[in-house]
Amino acid sequence: MAQLVLNGLITGMIVALPAVALTLIFSILKFPNFAIGAMLTASAYIAWSLNVLAGLPLLAAAVLAALLFALAMVLTDRAVFRPLRERGPITLLVASMGVSFVLENLCRLAFGNLARNFDIPIARPHRFWGLRVNQEQITTAIVALAAMAAVYLLLRHSPLGRAMRAVADNPALAAARGIDRDRTILWTWAIAAVLTTIAGVLVGMDRAIDPLMGWSYIISIFAAAILGGLGSPVGAVLGALVIGVVQEVSTLVIASNYRQAVSFAAIALLLLFRPQGLLGQRRIKR
Amino acid sequence: MIAYLVTILTLVSIAAIVALALNLQWGLCGMVNFGIVGFVALGAYTTALLALAGTGPILALAGAVAVCALAGGLVALLSVRLSEEYLAIVTLGFGEIVRVVSLNEAWLTGGALGLPGIPRPLIESVPSESYDWVFLGLCLLALAAVFLLLESLTRSPFGRLVRAVRDDDVVAATLGKNVLRTRVVAFAVGSGVTAVAGGLQAFHFSYIDPSQFTPIVSAYAFMAVIAGGRGSNRGILLGACTVMVLLEGSRFLKDFVEVLDAEQLASIRLILIGLGLILFLIYRPQGFGREPRRSAGSLLGEAAADGRERTS
Amino acid sequence: MSPGRPELVAPLAVEGLFAGYGGGDILKDVSLSVPAGKVFTVVGPNGSGKSTLIKTLAGLVAARQGRIALCGRDITRLAAARRVSAGLAYVPQEHNVFRNLTVGENLKLSTEFLDGGRLAGPEQRERVLALFPDVAERRGLLAGNLSGGQRQMLAFACALMANPEVLLLDEPSAGLSPKFVQEIFQAVLTVRDAGVTVFMIEQNVAAALPFSDIALVLVAGQVRLVTAADRLLAEHDLHSLYLGEA
Ligand SMILES: Nc1ncnc2c1ncn2[C@@H]1O[C@H](COP(=O)(O)OP(=O)(O)OP(=O)(O)O)[C@@H](O)[C@H]1O
Ligand SMILES: [Mg+2]
Repeated sequence: MAQLVLNGLITGMIVALPAVALTLIFSILKFPNFAIGAMLTASAYIAWSLNVLAGLPLLAAAVLAALLFALAMVLTDRAVFRPLRERGPITLLVASMGVSFVLENLCRLAFGNLARNFDIPIARPHRFWGLRVNQEQITTAIVALAAMAAVYLLLRHSPLGRAMRAVADNPALAAARGIDRDRTILWTWAIAAVLTTIAGVLVGMDRAIDPLMGWSYIISIFAAAILGGLGSPVGAVLGALVIGVVQEVSTLVIASNYRQAVSFAAIALLLLFRPQGLLGQRRIKR
Repeated sequence: MIAYLVTILTLVSIAAIVALALNLQWGLCGMVNFGIVGFVALGAYTTALLALAGTGPILALAGAVAVCALAGGLVALLSVRLSEEYLAIVTLGFGEIVRVVSLNEAWLTGGALGLPGIPRPLIESVPSESYDWVFLGLCLLALAAVFLLLESLTRSPFGRLVRAVRDDDVVAATLGKNVLRTRVVAFAVGSGVTAVAGGLQAFHFSYIDPSQFTPIVSAYAFMAVIAGGRGSNRGILLGACTVMVLLEGSRFLKDFVEVLDAEQLASIRLILIGLGLILFLIYRPQGFGREPRRSAGSLLGEAAADGRERTS
Repeated sequence: MSPGRPELVAPLAVEGLFAGYGGGDILKDVSLSVPAGKVFTVVGPNGSGKSTLIKTLAGLVAARQGRIALCGRDITRLAAARRVSAGLAYVPQEHNVFRNLTVGENLKLSTEFLDGGRLAGPEQRERVLALFPDVAERRGLLAGNLSGGQRQMLAFACALMANPEVLLLDEPSAGLSPKFVQEIFQAVLTVRDAGVTVFMIEQNVAAALPFSDIALVLVAGQVRLVTAADRLLAEHDLHSLYLGEA
């Protein structure tokens, strides 16, 4: 049981990163980005190419991949989402599904359906108080926590973070205060891309990389973000941890193939009983 | 070659039924259904199970329609009070659940192996050489019936109401509860129509397995609706034909470009669909067809007038 | 052209202004001049173009014809954010604070992204906060959790952080309970006494006039009357002014 909770927390930390990315995009661009799963896949493949094909050490490959992918998403925003900016959330979310098809299948076309692994040594798991903890889990916990702390500091205490929150809160007033919305949106995509790249690499280390890896997380990511009340990054992190633990613990009673179904059940229950998210307090409107 | 054409036409008419259903949901009501493949699958499995259990094909199909309409209604109910984004997420989740269940509950669905030997309608009374033609006829008949149903629905006060609501948030807000019910019903009807497509697919292949129900089915439907022009049933028919013919035609690519295997071809198709969706949204949001644009006010005025005629 | 002695150049002057939203002109040939250190109040019936006037001054609606000058400098073609840097601050009627940000963050954001030399130094910040002790006490609170009156004060404070010459207020008393209305107008006087010229719009004529120096009556997009505020009600019949009988 304790082992399951631990595994669940680690899964939750991985899910938290794209869930935060989803939340940032939702609060600033006002649409749910259905390409978030494919972004996970694409960034993982970029890192894999740099690591295995180009022979860079994993850390360097990950950093470079994050930068490249940030650039790619900024360009995608320019080409796809910017022309549709004022067309409402429905149009944008259908467009994001289009982006998702393109990203995921570019990966499939380039790399095939085979599962790929990073070039890293296999380490023996450690044991603490009877709990099995492997090296990847330790790395995951450290990296994910560091990334979340960085995002938190950035949002709370940097000019960019204030600008992002201001645009999310009241775009018209933000413009009157001299905040450039397009520049803020651009940085939002870059940050979201970096977060998904980190998550993509962590998933790749933990399991393997295949074209469907992002797809297999997408419901959990949305569940986490909705659980957190869509729009609150801290809420998304807590939501992700809850989802991770619930998924793992549910394997005691349901086959583990039903992970995503468990997330879906969480969404369904939540929408029925607490549509404002777990944290309860609705973001103040207007 | 003729046989191939008959098969293609059969598949096109099945896909067109899915597209028409999506047009009712997304095109007319603005309700995005990313899990439409899940409804097709649910319809196909229900039809197959009922047919295998020995009910006639009509009854099997009717059962599937009922099951899917119910499922669609429930899915819509989950999110109908919230903003439209939530429905997209819920439907995606629904599609995923259907996939996982069909893959893992082997006792019911045959798991990855699927359900073989689904009895095809009229198979005994028709000579086998011409069976494909007869089945194509059945599909076209179903397509025509669905088309007429949705067309009359679109023109009914009900159709005008949902369009008015889609186009104008204020109207939606002031009409309140009525609108919620209307939307749930519309979504359920759409899901029921999708079940027809699923059932026909099960009969057509006479076996079904989870690999037939991949996101590409949803992708086709979205592409057909956006290309045909949201809201216009006639446009959707045309859209579905062009999209299917173009994409099926790309099969022949394989004969020319030998390096491409089936897998790569499938991914190229999805890339094309993705790009197509995006380009249409940006450059031709009305698609090739065009729903006559009318103000929410005039739509509602007519809806109200119809209501009065009815009561008087 | 240099401002020279600011007392002689009006902080805000408008000449022959025409503006509108796509259709016909809403403002038709508006001219006015706001003297330094005064509270200048625009009143008029609903739909007469008051909000349009203040939005045109703030740079949110483009002027079709005419000229807007701030301390003698032509700002007619300046973008909204640049007018703030130039010394013209604007408090919209509603949605005028970032509700999900703290009071402190609101204050900081009020000048952080303005280009031009108006960045608020610590002394400006202290001066502004001294005017609004209620706001100063609650720097850690989310702006959305302030009371209506306090939120309006915060909006004033944010506008003043840029150290403007002129403060534009769109219906500062709208939606406030009577108790807060008095408080808000008191705050307007405080701002004026701190040396900032105030240009405001008010529906609530009776409440606003005692706190105003000059009143302008705008009817159907045209200036009907400019007079000392205390003489408006005494010497004129507002009703007939509004109806267009001079
Ligand atoms: N964004 C807009 N687009 C088009 N017309 C507008 C817009 N805003 C205002 N108008 C029109 O301009 C005219 C003047 O409106 P304005 O808001 O300036 O009046 P007002 O004097 O502020 O009225 P109130 O006292 O009700 O606030 C009105 O006829 C209004 O319908
Ligand atoms: Mg007004």
